[in-house]
Amino acid sequence: VMEGRCAVETWAQFGFSGRSYKVKILCGFGTDVLICTGTEEIYVFSKRERKITASIRFTSDASSSPAELKISQECLVVGADEVSSLLLVGSVLLTLCQRDASWLLTLYKTPKQTASTSHKEFGSFHLPVASAVDCGAAESNRGPRKGSVLICIHSGDVEASSSSNASAESTVAQDHFHLEPLLFKLLFGVEAALAKSPVILCGLPDGRLCFLPLRLPGSRLRVLHSLEQPVCFVGASVVTETGHAQCLVAAGEQGRVALIKTDKAGSEGGSAVAAFTEGCVPGPVWCGCMDKSCFYYSTGADLLRLDLSEGSFARESKERGEETSGTTAAALQSPSSLNVCRVIALAEPACTGDVQLLGVSARGQLQRICLPAGRVDEGSSKLPSTQVSRSVRDLLSAIGDVCERYAPSVLKTVIKSKNQFLRLLNHAVSVSFLLMADTTTDLPIKEKPIRCHFETSWSRLLQKDSLSLVCFLHNSSPFVLERGWTLSITVSPLSYSSSPAGESSSTNFSFPFHDLRPGQTFEASLPIAAAGDASFPMTVSCSLIFSLSSLLGEEEVAASFAGLQSSCISLPLSTLTVDWLHALQLNSPTATHKMATVQPSSAAADSIQTFLSSRQLRCSGRTNRGGESAAKPEPEKYSASVWVSSEIVRDTLKPKKSSNLDAKESIRDPEDLYKIALSTSVAHARGPNGAAMKLTVKEVNHKEATIEVQIESSSLAAVCGLHHAVLRRIQRHRESRLYKECPDFRIKTAFGEVVSTVQRDRLLLSVYQELRRNPLLIV
Amino acid sequence: MYQPPSLPEKWSQENNELVNKCKQQEAAGGAVSRDHRQSSLRWCSSEFHKLLRKIQGIPPHVDHSQLELAVVYNTCVCFTAQSQFSEAELLLKEATERVLQVTGNNADTSDPLVLWRAGLKSAGNTALHPHVLYLLCLQWALWLAKCQLENIGELQEQMSSLCEIVCDGVGDGSLSEAKGRLSKSPLLVMEPKRLTELLQICTSIAQGAEKLNEGRSSEALSVLQAASALPATRALVAYTHLLSGSCLAHMNRPQMALQCYKRALETDSRCVCALYRSMLIYRQLGNTQAEIQALRLLHSTLMLPPATEPVLGGIQPLSPSLLLSSQSLSRLLSVPSALSVLYSLALKCVLSGRVTEGVEHYLDLLAALHSEDQHAVDAEVSVLPRMPELYLEAGTALLFTRRPADCMAFCNEVISTTLELVPEKVVLEEPEEGIGGDARGLSVEGEDKVAMLLWAAAAYLVQGHCHAHLKDWKQAVTHYTRCINLLVKVHLKNRDFQPQIPAADVNVKHGKDLCTLQRMKGLSLAWRGISFTQMDQLREALRDLQLSLQAFPDYTGAGLWCGEVLWRLGRKHEAAACWEKTWSLTTQTSVEKLPLYLQDPQSGPLLDSVELRFRIQELGLT
Repeated sequence: VMEGRCAVETWAQFGFSGRSYKVKILCGFGTDVLICTGTEEIYVFSKRERKITASIRFTSDASSSPAELKISQECLVVGADEVSSLLLVGSVLLTLCQRDASWLLTLYKTPKQTASTSHKEFGSFHLPVASAVDCGAAESNRGPRKGSVLICIHSGDVEASSSSNASAESTVAQDHFHLEPLLFKLLFGVEAALAKSPVILCGLPDGRLCFLPLRLPGSRLRVLHSLEQPVCFVGASVVTETGHAQCLVAAGEQGRVALIKTDKAGSEGGSAVAAFTEGCVPGPVWCGCMDKSCFYYSTGADLLRLDLSEGSFARESKERGEETSGTTAAALQSPSSLNVCRVIALAEPACTGDVQLLGVSARGQLQRICLPAGRVDEGSSKLPSTQVSRSVRDLLSAIGDVCERYAPSVLKTVIKSKNQFLRLLNHAVSVSFLLMADTTTDLPIKEKPIRCHFETSWSRLLQKDSLSLVCFLHNSSPFVLERGWTLSITVSPLSYSSSPAGESSSTNFSFPFHDLRPGQTFEASLPIAAAGDASFPMTVSCSLIFSLSSLLGEEEVAASFAGLQSSCISLPLSTLTVDWLHALQLNSPTATHKMATVQPSSAAADSIQTFLSSRQLRCSGRTNRGGESAAKPEPEKYSASVWVSSEIVRDTLKPKKSSNLDAKESIRDPEDLYKIALSTSVAHARGPNGAAMKLTVKEVNHKEATIEVQIESSSLAAVCGLHHAVLRRIQRHRESRLYKECPDFRIKTAFGEVVSTVQRDRLLLSVYQELRRNPLLIV
Repeated sequence: MYQPPSLPEKWSQENNELVNKCKQQEAAGGAVSRDHRQSSLRWCSSEFHKLLRKIQGIPPHVDHSQLELAVVYNTCVCFTAQSQFSEAELLLKEATERVLQVTGNNADTSDPLVLWRAGLKSAGNTALHPHVLYLLCLQWALWLAKCQLENIGELQEQMSSLCEIVCDGVGDGSLSEAKGRLSKSPLLVMEPKRLTELLQICTSIAQGAEKLNEGRSSEALSVLQAASALPATRALVAYTHLLSGSCLAHMNRPQMALQCYKRALETDSRCVCALYRSMLIYRQLGNTQAEIQALRLLHSTLMLPPATEPVLGGIQPLSPSLLLSSQSLSRLLSVPSALSVLYSLALKCVLSGRVTEGVEHYLDLLAALHSEDQHAVDAEVSVLPRMPELYLEAGTALLFTRRPADCMAFCNEVISTTLELVPEKVVLEEPEEGIGGDARGLSVEGEDKVAMLLWAAAAYLVQGHCHAHLKDWKQAVTHYTRCINLLVKVHLKNRDFQPQIPAADVNVKHGKDLCTLQRMKGLSLAWRGISFTQMDQLREALRDLQLSLQAFPDYTGAGLWCGEVLWRLGRKHEAAACWEKTWSLTTQTSVEKLPLYLQDPQSGPLLDSVELRFRIQELGLT
């Protein structure tokens, strides 16, 4: 046998398995051991023959699997349901069960030999069920009811009289303890001691330890202590030479252990008091048993031993007083492992010599567990456990000190900032994925998680008009756009020719975000052009940029990695062409400076509506035929005109007629143009270069219903620009219709690379044919 | 041609079979345990209920209404017998409603009284009428069991007509017709006539108890005396006599009350309560001998095995105990436990001078408490003193019978139990009135330290008395000293009174503990003084006696002995003054209220007052 290890000898295998809390081993029947499986069987194992000699079965289910079962005769007949534990004290049988809202301890008188088998109930005690104790109650609702513990405690000095129940002696022992008289008196009162009454102690699943002096007239069930977790073991240990236990032990299912001892040098006045020491041992406690000085318990994973006598004795003689509780607590902290696992029931057959335990494993094996011969502490010259634990405690605190001292705040902040950094990166990646998913799927713009739109407006500052573009970025993604994220807007003219230097005249604006939370909108206003010096149309493209450098902190990066500065992730958001129409300043009587843009507001919008409704009535029913435009330049005034089928305009207008038009949409669609013009039929406006221009819209009944849009201005640039803008829009509109009509094309263009040139040609041809069939637009 | 029996016939048959089975079980069940009876009842009620649900599954109809009502009756009897009152009441309500439906009325009320009136009226003179009345009987039983006497009062006239019809109706002209019908009509679990009789007397008893409780004794008396003539079991008749006696006792006619109690006992010899009540009356009359006699009888009656259980009910499903559950009644019928009766007996004997007898009873009591058969059965309030006090009283009684050795053994027991727990210092802070009484129910580990100390001290005091009795003065002094040493550990924390001058009414005013403490101080000091006197240590004796008088001025023994010591010291005039003063103290605190062990020991050296007066006279002459 190895030092410090137990010898486990399997004696028998039973036909049951599975984890059950209800398995019990009962010793004290001579050489027989009884194993109650908690179901309907009891096995009798003979130690001498080393085999199971009998098994007792209950045919009826009347015995609802009591947690403890004593069999003094072959059958005890007590018709009680749901008995959770029982105990035999002399001629009295006690049962404990839960009835509705109270615990019921019932006393039965066992018949005197010859009388009938049925036991006569002659008393019962109630104890209200405590309000549910955390998990214990919840579990008991689900699973089977937890068992309770019933034991009987005698005062040590009553032994002389207890010989009278010698008849029952053979059956008792395991659940009967003789407690030191002083402790007995302290816990249960002088009266119980004077009446020589045994005391029934019951541990309930709600954690309470209750006691009842059995023979004291008028006594009640009273609460001694509460473990606040289901009690799974109660016993007495630390037995002196006189055979009196000096310590009452109660163990809860989750490892809370209460040791109750006499504190001789009590707090006040020097009289003895009962000292309750509570501590936690590594739980869960599945089952337990006691011998003369130790408490053994199984956690399922291991069998542990708590030595309760050691230390507390040796030291008590030397230094009294508060040391007692200290050492007891220390004893609780150092259970020693015995390296036996999966024990679900334990018993201590009280043999002399070596310590032997009987256990039942979860697999249903009856095992004899021989503890290492001689105490472990004798083998090695090891320090008393109290000293060990104290030095360990010192060491631990020293380590703690060092840790405190040498882990400076810098390190902590570095760790913290790194965590922060990782979090930000994670966000960045998430946002990127979000936006990438955006481009592949084709969400309507309103449903995009991060979207932006623009508005243009003229403003006058210092006698100078200037066009500014306001960009709104709405964050409806679940992420916060924080430090490191920048909104970048690039404005570049569509054609470079105007630039004298020939170089790219694009302008870049960037707006770093600070903390754009989900649901918030960011608004950035940027000047595009002052009046007169702009080349329209221009492209505005905006993108989200995540830069590592801003994340890391500029100064560090600048210092160490110059190259890293450019490293950033750029995610395009949207692109917009700002053309002449956007930049138009209307000169209508109601129009102020701001009216130039196409904001559907106030009076203008109303008049548009009225006009539209009247116009629409007249237009309805016309056939769908395209129009034709022709530029008719004149010497002093240039003009251009576009013919559009009113059908198109009407079609697209219809669904949106009542809705409040979104600014960003309105500016792009032909109906706006239509609206602008139709609101007055004739619109006078100024272009961005200051040139006055006239926009006329009239209905021409050429062949079919057609609308003619005429642009007149003295400035050629203005005419061209506006004409371009109008055409572009109509074109775009037409295009989108086309996409709808021949989706095939769209799909193929979407996979542009795959389509071969031949195919493309063919496609274009078909598009052309399509266009020819509906000749709507000829430039 | 064979015709299969119709449904009602089948049901009727089923009902009859069930009733027969029930009756068989009851007949056999007289001897069987209560458990068994309960389970068979449970079975019956569930079977009846099943049958009833079958019958009520179809709409009510005149043809089978009788059968239905009979089954309702049977089911309700079973339910009521198991104390399932609400279920029974629900069935009754449904049944009444169905009766109303059959007779073409409908009641929208949920008030049971109105419903019943309507039901009875609509059943009128139909064949259903008796069955509705039977159900009313059950309703009556339910109200009685639930102590709703006012409801019974409300339906007084219906009830009385019910009694006439059910009990006497068989006798009228329609007898043969009724018989003829009965043969066909379904069987009933309990005969309505017997039920009605039972209800009548039980109602009277309950009403009597209620009225007695409200102080209307004469009304109660008339009700009860009328009831005593009703046909009923002996036990119930005995109850009427017993309660009549209680009424008379209330009306301050003890002799007449005693007559009633006697009649109750004659009617039913097991009516322990009558015995107990008579004992109380004897006590009130101051007839100690009779009281002791009654206590002895009471005790021996209580000790009889409660063997044959069916004292009250016979073998009816509905027992009187079920119907007589009102609190006021149970209070009137309550009898203390055998142990407390034995204790009263012992104490009474000792106090009335029958010491030897008293000692026997004390020993019996302790033996009973230690016996294996003694169990903390009833949680009812016990009038027994606490265990150590019982020991001390028994010890004192033993000393009275000149058995000092036994007495010392008892005291040793108390000392060995308590001494370890006595603290070095105790603060006696007199609680407000009423708190001290509950000390028994209070903490255990923190069991009243003061009580512990007082018990130990009292044990030493009694041991001192033992030694004094044996004229072992040295030992006596030792034990009295131990007692005193313990007593001085108590520190009084005075709120608003001066403990130095405990007035005679200390007993009332400040709790029991303080009184005990002062009395014990007085006794122990005085008796140490007396012991010193016997050892001729007169100075010490004088000091102790004077201290004793300070602690407890009312103690005449100390006063007399103080004078004696003064006399012996030659301070004769002072001695005379001391004696005179002591004799003038006539405030004899009621000895009976003190625990036995705090009373003046009856043994030991005595001073003859006559002789003392003679001495004073002589002194005056010289």
